[in-house]
Amino acid sequence: MVQKDGPKPIAAVVGAGRTKFGELWYDNPEKLLVEAGLECVESVDKGIGRKDIQACFFGSFLYQHTNKRGLIPGYMAQELGLNIPISMTEAACASGGAAVYNAVLGIQSGKFDIVLAGGFEKMSDRVDKIMDDLMFAADPHEFDAGFTFIGLYAVMMSRYLYDYGKGDERCLDAMAIVASKNHHHAMGNPYAQYRREFTVEAVKRSALVADPVRLLHCSPVSDGAASLIITSPEKAKEMTDTPIYIYASQQATDSVALSARDNLTGVKSTRLAMGAALEQAGMKISEIPLAEVHDCFTIEEVMYMEDSGFYNTGEAWKGIFDSYKDYEGLRHIPYVRGDAEVIVNPGGGLKADGHPVGATGVRQVFEVYRQLRGEAGDCQVESDGDLDAALCHNIGGTGGICTVHIFGRGA
Amino acid sequence: MSEPIARRKIIVDYRINATKCQDCGTMYFPPKSFCYNEGRASHMEDLDFFYKKGALYSGTVINTPSSKFKDVGAHISGIFEFPEHSLRIPGRITDYIPPEGSVDLSSLVGREVVPRFRRNYSGSEDGLVHYSSLNFSFGDEYYPHQEYVKIEPSEEVEKPGIVGYGVYLPKYRIKNEGGGVLGVTERTLPFADEDTTTFSVEAGKRALIHAALDSTYVKKCFVGTESPTYAVKPIMATVTQALELGEKFEDGYFSGGTDSQFACKAATDLYVDAAALVNYPAFGGEHVMVIGSDNSQASPGDPLDYTVGAGAAAFIFGRRDVIATLDHYLSYTSDTPDFYRREGEKYPRHGGRFTGTPAYYKHVLTAMKAMLKKSGLAPEDINYVILHSPNASFPQRAALQAGFTREQIAPGLTVAKIGNLYSGSCPAALGAVLDISEPGDKILMTAYGSGAGSDSYVFTVTDKIAEKRERSVPVQDQIESPHKEYVDYVFYRKMKDIS
Repeated sequence: MVQKDGPKPIAAVVGAGRTKFGELWYDNPEKLLVEAGLECVESVDKGIGRKDIQACFFGSFLYQHTNKRGLIPGYMAQELGLNIPISMTEAACASGGAAVYNAVLGIQSGKFDIVLAGGFEKMSDRVDKIMDDLMFAADPHEFDAGFTFIGLYAVMMSRYLYDYGKGDERCLDAMAIVASKNHHHAMGNPYAQYRREFTVEAVKRSALVADPVRLLHCSPVSDGAASLIITSPEKAKEMTDTPIYIYASQQATDSVALSARDNLTGVKSTRLAMGAALEQAGMKISEIPLAEVHDCFTIEEVMYMEDSGFYNTGEAWKGIFDSYKDYEGLRHIPYVRGDAEVIVNPGGGLKADGHPVGATGVRQVFEVYRQLRGEAGDCQVESDGDLDAALCHNIGGTGGICTVHIFGRGA
Repeated sequence: MSEPIARRKIIVDYRINATKCQDCGTMYFPPKSFCYNEGRASHMEDLDFFYKKGALYSGTVINTPSSKFKDVGAHISGIFEFPEHSLRIPGRITDYIPPEGSVDLSSLVGREVVPRFRRNYSGSEDGLVHYSSLNFSFGDEYYPHQEYVKIEPSEEVEKPGIVGYGVYLPKYRIKNEGGGVLGVTERTLPFADEDTTTFSVEAGKRALIHAALDSTYVKKCFVGTESPTYAVKPIMATVTQALELGEKFEDGYFSGGTDSQFACKAATDLYVDAAALVNYPAFGGEHVMVIGSDNSQASPGDPLDYTVGAGAAAFIFGRRDVIATLDHYLSYTSDTPDFYRREGEKYPRHGGRFTGTPAYYKHVLTAMKAMLKKSGLAPEDINYVILHSPNASFPQRAALQAGFTREQIAPGLTVAKIGNLYSGSCPAALGAVLDISEPGDKILMTAYGSGAGSDSYVFTVTDKIAEKRERSVPVQDQIESPHKEYVDYVFYRKMKDIS
């Protein structure tokens, strides 16, 4: 709940657009970004023009590598027909979240009051090389140690099962429940790559890609783009009567190499960014009923539920297991702890909506924007009218970077 | 990867180099020049984990490998720790083929592992072959962990000879069904990440451990092989860097050497040169390492394809703490085209039956008989006789013809169980014989290299052999290891060709 006397918003979202996610073989990345950009400009209630945008903040992981290009701001200016300041951030899977973070910084600095934040990725252009490319987000020694990106999360999951599961089959069930739940959530999402239900048993029977991670524990290889119009809080009301305010924008980093971290069963950058964001927003985790969480692999959503403080360390799997048992069959399945409930990934998350790496962090805000405005259609989270806060959690690599943004409808 | 990046990785990865803050004890891999806690004022200490043992902290079975590891196939990658030093590094389990289906990874947590020098990958755009020690095998498996204890050489100067040796045989084997092929019943083969270079490093590492010799005392390294990893780039440079015979980065240990080729006697030919060098004042050192190493090549389906093996043996020559003196030497050479491979050709060719009487037997028997005459020794004065062993039949026939008995031949007839190691053939057999020799024993070794020539040596075992014996990994133990794994011909052929 955003308090009237609580912290003031630092920025606002007044428009959002995205493409469908999937294997979009015939679209080039620029086309996807333009499509999402135009949709977001046109979505602004009171209308803005392309030339009202004062600066652009983009995020993409593989664009430079795939297309063998530098000077991305120039290419983007060419696409947009604008000569404004444009910056491009690469932060692996958090490139989108970092673009939003940078856009908010641009607003906070006072230099701009209307900016565009965009994320895009065209992973299918590297269809047979993507396994190698994803390792750019890992330490080179991990690549040389035979790891794949899935393998890195697999050693985290492996250690989690060892430390906390201790042979309890329900822990493995919880890892599958996350996938099953998120696919269930995506059934109402017209943009989602996979609008298809998977039972817990089906997840547990799917192929082992990097033991113990199975195919259906993984988010897919996707193409897509998403864009936002972000303004100063003061400017927002000129654009729409129902802006979604940003109360916290935080980023934290950590060692890329897993071996350099204290443990493998949580993500320090999440803990740091979450703690700072909650403090900035003046909120407790139990007060946020909706979360877009970086479920690139289901273990990451499990770890987030602990790193965010919703569940105690080592206990998220129990909470997830118990929550699922109690709420099977609903449109959205919340995680429950005492009186607190949170719906995680109402549109299917990375797992089912898709994970075009650089677009994800922006897509998360798109989802939250629509949810808080009550415009999420068949994906709309049912509430008794108090759905007034949400957060987005975006991870790069295995936690080398994390961005957290907290949103509200305003006091 | 580019050549400069490869060079920087070599410095870190060959020996698992790390740094430790001397103030707060924090460890860093890869090495850092300052400590996070102590800042720029920190005092950092260089450490390496080449000889240490670690444990698996968390692992995964990579069923769908990256392009770099396609040759290796499914494997375990993981985070490994060296608990005594609070250091964790990423790594890969080698010499291990995961079973199909789910693996109980929890049961592997905490299991002891030993770093192994292996090839990470080849075939990248730079054309380089990349190696590291971020590979581990289970400590309770085929490859035992050995402490590397350095003992200062004694003051006493003796006749030059062998001061330490190490034989490395790979874990994987293929059987020749029935009675074997010319007496060869089973053979060693490389794992997917092994090659002549990795064999050389492993053998050299064991030789240093056996000799208990400070690696920086070795001032020259020769590697004899006919299956070099590169057409141009010496294996000895990799061995020198990995074993720290030479350069410690920005510190400067001086050491030289070269690779040599003379078919199967590329290494043994240099034993006398090594012994001579350690007596030569201008050389500036007292120890020379000579390694014979091969992933022995044969054209698929060729008769040799059923007798070739893989592995290496390293010998350190010096004149202090000698376990076997080099007493006599001679060499006999002629231009005999019995077996050869031109640049760019993948497999050697040979003259079939021409490789027998006019080639192998002529040179071996001539050299052996001349050696007996030169040394004044009769066959009965010799305890063990070792001959180059392209198979188990040729050396027995030649030795019997020269007046030796089957008892003198048998301990050096390792070929029957490991195959023909080409440049490593006589050296590995010499290692097997030294494993069981007693002080005073005399060993006659006659090598043969196609092209063609024979080197004949007489060694006399000294009292020192007993005190070093506990530091050897006996050849017979490797041959009979309960952990060796048999593979079929298809797997064998794949391993031979990618190594």
